Amino acid sequence: MLNPLRSEAEAFRLLVYVVVVAAVVAGLVLLARAVF
Amino acid sequence: MEAASVTHGSHAGVHDEEHHGPPAAHRSSRVEPQLLGMLLFIISEVMVFGAFFTAYFFIRVVQGDEWPAAGTELPKLVAGVNTCILLSSSVTMHWALESAKSGNRFGLKAGIFTTFGLGLTFLFIQINEYVHIGFSPQDSAQGSVFYGLTGLHGAHVAVGLTLLAFTTIRSFRGHFSPEEHRGVEVPGIYWHFVDIMWIVVFLTVYIL
Repeated sequence: MLNPLRSEAEAFRLLVYVVVVAAVVAGLVLLARAVF
Repeated sequence: MEAASVTHGSHAGVHDEEHHGPPAAHRSSRVEPQLLGMLLFIISEVMVFGAFFTAYFFIRVVQGDEWPAAGTELPKLVAGVNTCILLSSSVTMHWALESAKSGNRFGLKAGIFTTFGLGLTFLFIQINEYVHIGFSPQDSAQGSVFYGLTGLHGAHVAVGLTLLAFTTIRSFRGHFSPEEHRGVEVPGIYWHFVDIMWIVVFLTVYIL
């Protein structure tokens, strides 16, 4: 299981996941705003 | 430090096998002190940021007010570029630690110095944004929350830069090796945490 407190490498991996999720959320919201 | 952990580990084993009472003062029977300290720190940080996000969502969801306040505009492009700068600094931080682990001293020094420079650039652009944004914290609730959230994050960047300054000096003095690099690893974890918080702040304040 990912534990970002255990090592820098795992914290970096969590950052990458957060960036990906944030990009998806931003994309969906902007798309919804453009459509509706 | 690692030797101390090993010593502590063996002590904990003896403790578990022979001792039948509560753990010694300032110790938990389940969690390592270093991990417990970091957990408590992160929990307190989540609560601090949570308080500011509560104010933000109260304005936007409960009150239904517009964001940002009428007649004001947030510099999304500048903030987006600044986000890229901060994310780049996490990549160079990761490179620095990987270099330290593999004994690449040039990579360590270049990586940590670049991380410090990128962090400083982020903070400079953030302050420059405050100067030119055209509203102040006392103008509206939106202004208060904007400065509160971004300022709280900026304060964390300033703390991170202090840690990185020490790490940079120590890197150039040759204090780190493939065996001993905790002084790079811990600031690295903190720096990534600051970046993660910025992604959340950037997404909610500037994009959504």
